[in-house]
Amino acid sequence: MTVIIETKQLSKIYQGIPAVDSADFSISKGEVVGFVGLNGAGKSTTINMLLGFIAPTKGEVQLFGEKVTLANAAKSHRRIGFATGDMSLFDDMTGAQYLKFIARSYGMSLETKTYKKLIQKFDPQLSKKLNALSRGNKQKIALIAAFMPDPDLVILDEPSSGLDPLMQQHFIELVREQAARGTTIFMSSHYLNEVVDVCTRVLLIKNGKLVKDMPASELEATAGKLVRVVTKAKVAPPKLAELVERERLDDRHVLQFVYRDTPYRLQEWLGTLPNLQDLTVSDDSALAAFEDLYEREAE
Amino acid sequence: MFHVFLKTLRDKRFFILGWSIGLAFLGFLMTSFFPSFNGGQIDELLNSLPPALEGLIGNLADWRELTGYIGSQVFDIRLPIFISILSILLAISLTVGEEDKGQLRTLISLPISRRHIAMGKWLAIVTICLIASVAPIIGVELGLLTINETLDQMVLVRLGLFTWLLVTALATFIFSIGLATGNRALTTGLGIVIAIGSFLLTTFAQSVDWLKDYEKLSIFYYFPAVDIAKGTIVWHNMFFYLIILAIALVAALIFFPRRDVKGN
Repeated sequence: MTVIIETKQLSKIYQGIPAVDSADFSISKGEVVGFVGLNGAGKSTTINMLLGFIAPTKGEVQLFGEKVTLANAAKSHRRIGFATGDMSLFDDMTGAQYLKFIARSYGMSLETKTYKKLIQKFDPQLSKKLNALSRGNKQKIALIAAFMPDPDLVILDEPSSGLDPLMQQHFIELVREQAARGTTIFMSSHYLNEVVDVCTRVLLIKNGKLVKDMPASELEATAGKLVRVVTKAKVAPPKLAELVERERLDDRHVLQFVYRDTPYRLQEWLGTLPNLQDLTVSDDSALAAFEDLYEREAE
Repeated sequence: MFHVFLKTLRDKRFFILGWSIGLAFLGFLMTSFFPSFNGGQIDELLNSLPPALEGLIGNLADWRELTGYIGSQVFDIRLPIFISILSILLAISLTVGEEDKGQLRTLISLPISRRHIAMGKWLAIVTICLIASVAPIIGVELGLLTINETLDQMVLVRLGLFTWLLVTALATFIFSIGLATGNRALTTGLGIVIAIGSFLLTTFAQSVDWLKDYEKLSIFYYFPAVDIAKGTIVWHNMFFYLIILAIALVAALIFFPRRDVKGN
């Protein structure tokens, strides 16, 4: 499999404090990788080093098999689309002028199928000046600019922040379509459900260190099931369950817990309940799984 | 590179327009005042002023004929201060100004090398400085029409060329500091120190003896506008600006691709 991004002992130290500490990872062609961590964990610093905005204090980045330096980064940018949630666009331009400028930078025209499709999907306000647009509308322009050149690699830093739920859905669809075409996507996001939805792999960064590299499905599986049972008599939760809530409503007892064992054992336990009144089983949120993972990695 | 150049000119269109009108107006106004300073009671007034004031208002003898007056009152006293302000504002906005707003990072994220970005912006600076140097000449020409006077066109060509060299050298120097360091305080501070320091040095060196030893440190020392207007061109003055300009540009091209660029 062709390696698109590879970092070796990638580190950035600011005034003796490591913002990114010896990060080693590689991403192959066609992967959609979510890069998650709390604020200040080192996500943006890593992305800044990948794109050659800042130089690593130690270690190196390779994109498409070539070492990235500050001076040669523009070469790899021909094959990269980039957008951030708070991207500074050229505010004095209209959306149309900005996209035309971006297209010229990539040596392309605005008459491509991809451009027309993106315009149709996001329905941006092209005639208004960028400084007159809301954050969400600017974000649409930034995303169109990132995907417009049909890049081999798209790097996104909190890409959907500012988008309304409908546009978030369009964004997720877009990432899926691009992934299906074989585009490699590396995205940091605060929306863990979004990461679980679109990513094939998740990198977890904490205090500048990569603490977990796992398939996105594992994060989903780690999330477990949120089980809520209502019984006539007070019951104990099954083994390995994490109690969320227990309360008494008149003559009924409500028990809520997160369950991560096999469905068969849950079925067995449910069979032992006296006078089961109600049962709800739902997916626990990815956020809870993330918090759980984060805490476990800290221990 | 070319579309960074065009983008920069586009971004600065109101800046160019505003400064061009202002500098043209300065040239027009000062030229149209010439008849009022030519002969009569003004001679008596000028003769009564202490020589030490000449640093501030120019050599009094130059006021009596048009070439000297234009050289002294438009190009020697006022223009350097205005174009210094223009240089500082222009160079800062194109470097640390854009970097602080995060727009430089957006530009760098595109497939345009840092050297091409620097060159595109620098070419825009050269062009804007050229426009800023031509603007007062247009103003002077309009002023001459108003007062029914004529002036050898070569006088204005020489003055315009030297003004262009001075403003481009100063702007390139500040531009270089901004691109090479990304430090707003350093860029602004050095720009102001050079411009204001040079102005004070050149102005007061004529009346303060001990300052004469340091006069060559002023960037305006190499722009003797009255001599240039009268046809005396000292070539090493021209080379001084060209050397400053070349060193500053090379420094920007070397250091900018080697340093971290801030986000917003």
